[in-house]
Amino acid sequence: MPNAILDPTGTVTNSAAKPAAPRAPRLASLDGKRVGLLINTKQNARPFLDEVGRLLEDRYGVTVTKRTKLNFAVPEPENVIKELVAENDVIITGVGDCGSCSAAATADGVVLEAAGVPVAAIITDSFIPTADAMAALRGAPGYKYATTAHPVAVLTEDKVKERAAQVLDDVVALLVEDSAKDEA
Amino acid sequence: MTAANTEGAAAGAAAPDPDEAQRAIEYCYEQGWSDGLPLVPVSKPLLDAFLATTGKDPDEIIGALEQVGRDVNVRTAAINAAMAGCKPEYFPVVLAAFEALMRERAARGGGFQSTSGPSPLIVVNGPVRKELGFNTAGGAFGPGFRPNATIPRAVGLIVRNAFGIHPHVLEQATQGLPGRWQVCIAENEEESPWEPFAENGGVTGGVSAVSATLTRTMEFVDNRHTPNHEDVLRDIEDTVNRMGSLIFPQTSVALVLCPEHAQMFAAAGLSKADVQNWMIEKCGHTGREFKLAGKENVPRKPDGTFASDEEFHRILSAPQQVPVIVAGAKNAAISMVVRIFGEWSGSSVPVGEKK
Repeated sequence: MPNAILDPTGTVTNSAAKPAAPRAPRLASLDGKRVGLLINTKQNARPFLDEVGRLLEDRYGVTVTKRTKLNFAVPEPENVIKELVAENDVIITGVGDCGSCSAAATADGVVLEAAGVPVAAIITDSFIPTADAMAALRGAPGYKYATTAHPVAVLTEDKVKERAAQVLDDVVALLVEDSAKDEA
Repeated sequence: MTAANTEGAAAGAAAPDPDEAQRAIEYCYEQGWSDGLPLVPVSKPLLDAFLATTGKDPDEIIGALEQVGRDVNVRTAAINAAMAGCKPEYFPVVLAAFEALMRERAARGGGFQSTSGPSPLIVVNGPVRKELGFNTAGGAFGPGFRPNATIPRAVGLIVRNAFGIHPHVLEQATQGLPGRWQVCIAENEEESPWEPFAENGGVTGGVSAVSATLTRTMEFVDNRHTPNHEDVLRDIEDTVNRMGSLIFPQTSVALVLCPEHAQMFAAAGLSKADVQNWMIEKCGHTGREFKLAGKENVPRKPDGTFASDEEFHRILSAPQQVPVIVAGAKNAAISMVVRIFGEWSGSSVPVGEKK
């Protein structure tokens, strides 16, 4: 009997075997809700999310609070997640426009959803594979997020606002029930 | 093929079966374990030979990437080191290199996933260099020497296989860099006029030790015709100062000096600290220069404001941002400026001995 060839991947629990991360229930409506913006500090992330927040205030009368990610490259620590969950009805995070920050935005989304808060993570479309891979690793294969065209960092102020307006419907669709969305 | 070769192969009853070896290599490719080059298929006896070189428990966790929920233990690291082509006796150096690398904030954070595609720079000091047959002389950046070539590859395979960071998926390098997972320098201590690099990382007494950081690329400074050491320092400074590499208010660069440059500086009475201070003092740009490159947000000051047009913004502020290493042959005055991704931890790791 020859020796077996040994596996170098260690103890991998593949995502299918992992308990699925639960997704938060969607809201019936955004009317008057508390919206948390989790800004990841990448170039233009702040004006982008500011504009998303402003448009939601106009359209749904939401209350917006803002928070800056401690480190764009990695998911937020547990204490921050707890505070975000306590302080908001929904969370919008982004803009994931790099290898680590797009994955981190998705990971934050999955964790916050599991804690009961609907999330709209916004990433640029260059990073769909890494966002999907991170979601699967976190027990949420097929996790849905919003995308905007890459790049965002080089856009002028006006173009950033345009992009925010363009992604708004997708963001809302990620946060509310299908029926509520149809009525909007 | 010559007749002698044919006979030699036929006569060797114990010669390995190449067809079987090829099947085993293809099997490893099919599993997705390879970095693109052939791997050594690892069996239990080979793994045991690796584990016998360390006093560490095979189950001991030696690194984790929390954001992807993966970690690596001694056993898995050994399998990857063996696959990379390491000899069992290299394994304590692999463990030290990996520990040194995981002390880097950038490596624990998103470095391995980054669009920058950074590569470790591994530096080995002490008697282990000779004991294991490291190249300490010409061609310091490779290739041609088994320990120098296989130890960084082992680290790359650990990241790929144990952490699950695969290109185009969780690894998002835009272009990466030549020599990724291929750079392991054994310092030319014999021709260095200064203390071994490991001493700068806190390991003294000539003990074998490994240091590591992440790098984005490197560029040579070829300056072999001037007798004036300040000319050479200005030339190196010019390369350190290159605007294209600057993305944060502060940067870090390793100077891998050839023995000739290092000895020239030492003969002029300069210590490593003097070379470092030269760079700290001189390297930087005015606010206007940053602005002309569209980088007006780079020269951010500690108070949150940005350098004005006329204001000179220094890109280095501490010796730890300019590690100085001596490597290569004493046959030409060619040194390398290595751009560090993030910053060096400033700590070296002694090579462990079996208990």
